[in-house]
Amino acid sequence: MRRPSVSRRLLFAVAVPLVLFFALTIGVLDGVFRSLSNASLRELLAEQVVGLVTAADLNRDGGIDVNLLDPESRLDVPGSGLYAVVRDQNGKLLWSSPSLNGTGLELGMRLAVGGADFRYLKARDGTQVAELSRGLQWDYAAGASKNLVFTAADSTEPQRQQLWRFRQQMAGWFAALVLAVLATMAWMMRRALAPVRRLEQEIAAVETGAAQGLGADYPRELAGVAKGLNALLESERNRIAHYRDTLGNLAHSLKTPLAVIRANLGTAEEVAAQRATLQHEIDRIAQIVDHQLKRAAAAGGVTLGQASVPVLPLVTDLRAALLKVHAHKDLGIDLDVPAQFGFLGDTGDILELLGNVLDNACKWCRARVAVSVQLDGAREVPHRLSIVVEDDGAGIAAADQARVIERGVRADEQVPGHGLGLAMVRETVALYGGELIIGSSAKLGGARVELRLPGR
Amino acid sequence: MRVLVVEDEAALREALKSDLTAAGHTVDVAADGEEGLYAATEYPIDVAIIDLGLPKLSGLELIRQLRARGKTYGVLILTARDSWQDKVEGLSAGADDYVAKPFHVAEVQARLAALLRRSGGWASSRLRCGPLELDSRAQTVTVHGQAVELTSFEYRILEHLMLRAGEVLSKTELTERLYAQDFDRDSNVVEVLVGRLRRKLDPDDTLKPIETLRGRGYRLSLPRSTAA
Repeated sequence: MRRPSVSRRLLFAVAVPLVLFFALTIGVLDGVFRSLSNASLRELLAEQVVGLVTAADLNRDGGIDVNLLDPESRLDVPGSGLYAVVRDQNGKLLWSSPSLNGTGLELGMRLAVGGADFRYLKARDGTQVAELSRGLQWDYAAGASKNLVFTAADSTEPQRQQLWRFRQQMAGWFAALVLAVLATMAWMMRRALAPVRRLEQEIAAVETGAAQGLGADYPRELAGVAKGLNALLESERNRIAHYRDTLGNLAHSLKTPLAVIRANLGTAEEVAAQRATLQHEIDRIAQIVDHQLKRAAAAGGVTLGQASVPVLPLVTDLRAALLKVHAHKDLGIDLDVPAQFGFLGDTGDILELLGNVLDNACKWCRARVAVSVQLDGAREVPHRLSIVVEDDGAGIAAADQARVIERGVRADEQVPGHGLGLAMVRETVALYGGELIIGSSAKLGGARVELRLPGR
Repeated sequence: MRVLVVEDEAALREALKSDLTAAGHTVDVAADGEEGLYAATEYPIDVAIIDLGLPKLSGLELIRQLRARGKTYGVLILTARDSWQDKVEGLSAGADDYVAKPFHVAEVQARLAALLRRSGGWASSRLRCGPLELDSRAQTVTVHGQAVELTSFEYRILEHLMLRAGEVLSKTELTERLYAQDFDRDSNVVEVLVGRLRRKLDPDDTLKPIETLRGRGYRLSLPRSTAA
């Protein structure tokens, strides 16, 4: 199952709480509005009741007349929405407002003095009416009173419409706000995630071969990924080129000695005489195969998450081995290798490199070889390890220094060995993106070989 | 000289045997590691040629075991891969030199000859005489725990003196330890080396590890402790 996109998840993570928050706000505001609305309706009804009480008169028959002060009062208009009745303490209807005509409403109730009641009723036409009743002791003359129930009712229709309008407006405004906020967030996230999109595009380009690597200037969080990917790509490219080269070289270089052998295979008498040539060419084939196979075997390349190989134990072992191998010389091998320095690469590779360089130094020196390892903080990570091997021999003449590392060239034919040792070193160093520097040693007067490799 | 050849590839084994016999040596052969170990420990061998890739018991293990059983003769290893990893492993297991395959028999013979002159191997990995300690595997020396840098000749002289601590060794005997060929010998070299050793091991002249016995030779005057 494909995981949902980061942008979508972010947006969703922001949108959901936002919408919930707004919904909650709307709910609260709605509640407040309704509550205020109801309170105001009750107040209105209470005032109507007071008005009724003031306007009521006892008439000749013992009933009630209500002389409304306002000539345009809604109580006079049938079906106006504002209604009022007066009942006595037994519930008998004493007066009802003209507005009640045709509404079919039964307003009022029996209430004790001091009692109050608020309820909702439904009119014949389906509209709702809010009704407030008060039980009062009505003083109609000095010392004379009657217990009456005054009731005022108002249609809730206008209130309902107001609420509806309020809700509409609120919903409208809030919806607009939510959309505006979401749109802004979406735009901001697009901008923030632009580097991620660029990474996507660049990776796609690399996959199709349109690009060789990822660009630079990624933000801190992605810089590590981009750099690691580039290193991986570079390493893989080197590896492939290396294999291709090796196989090509092997095929080519074997052809010549084979051709010589073939040409020399003559009659039985001739074969015996040419045994030396055959032997020589077979030696060459053996050497070439050996060399190319070793090259193919070199692991090479910096892999991500590579553990560091401590250099000191390897150099110590090599020193002991070389003292034995070169036992015919009174050899002194001085080591200046701090224990904490390590090589970022394959153990076999660094051992071959050090072995070849040290062996050469031991062959060429008079009596002393010095090995020192340093970490150069000024150089770019990870290529900071610097391994220097110096000897007190004759050294390599300046003119020869570049030639010596070419394949098959030795500076002096007298010392045995196929002369391929340093060429191999150069190739392996190149595979790690490092450097091989050959010069003269100021300290010991002979040759100085420096390997710059990834390390820490 | 009695030479042991331990090599599993028959053609190579027979070729070595016939070449070495023709050169005047007595040759014993073994085709696998176990046979080789038996021969290496039971016969009075002077030098051994051991292939690293053996069946039954690996070449490395064979070397370790023969050293562990006190055999100190020279061991030449044959390596197929010619990688430094193989060489270092073989040499630190107890071998003294290596030859990469495919080799010229002449090269093998030359290295054998060199080994025969100089005594190879070591009786035990560590030698201690008083405050002097010598580690044969790492070819290092410490005095009172402090490391001392020695050249390979200085090391070999000291090792021999320590192996025969308390005995007098003549200049000739010590010189033999250094050189494979007679004509390379410099009769003064032992004197120079002993002088250098004294300066390096005993800079303030308090220890006096090496005694000169006029007309007879040198002796290590520090008592040998049981090796660690």
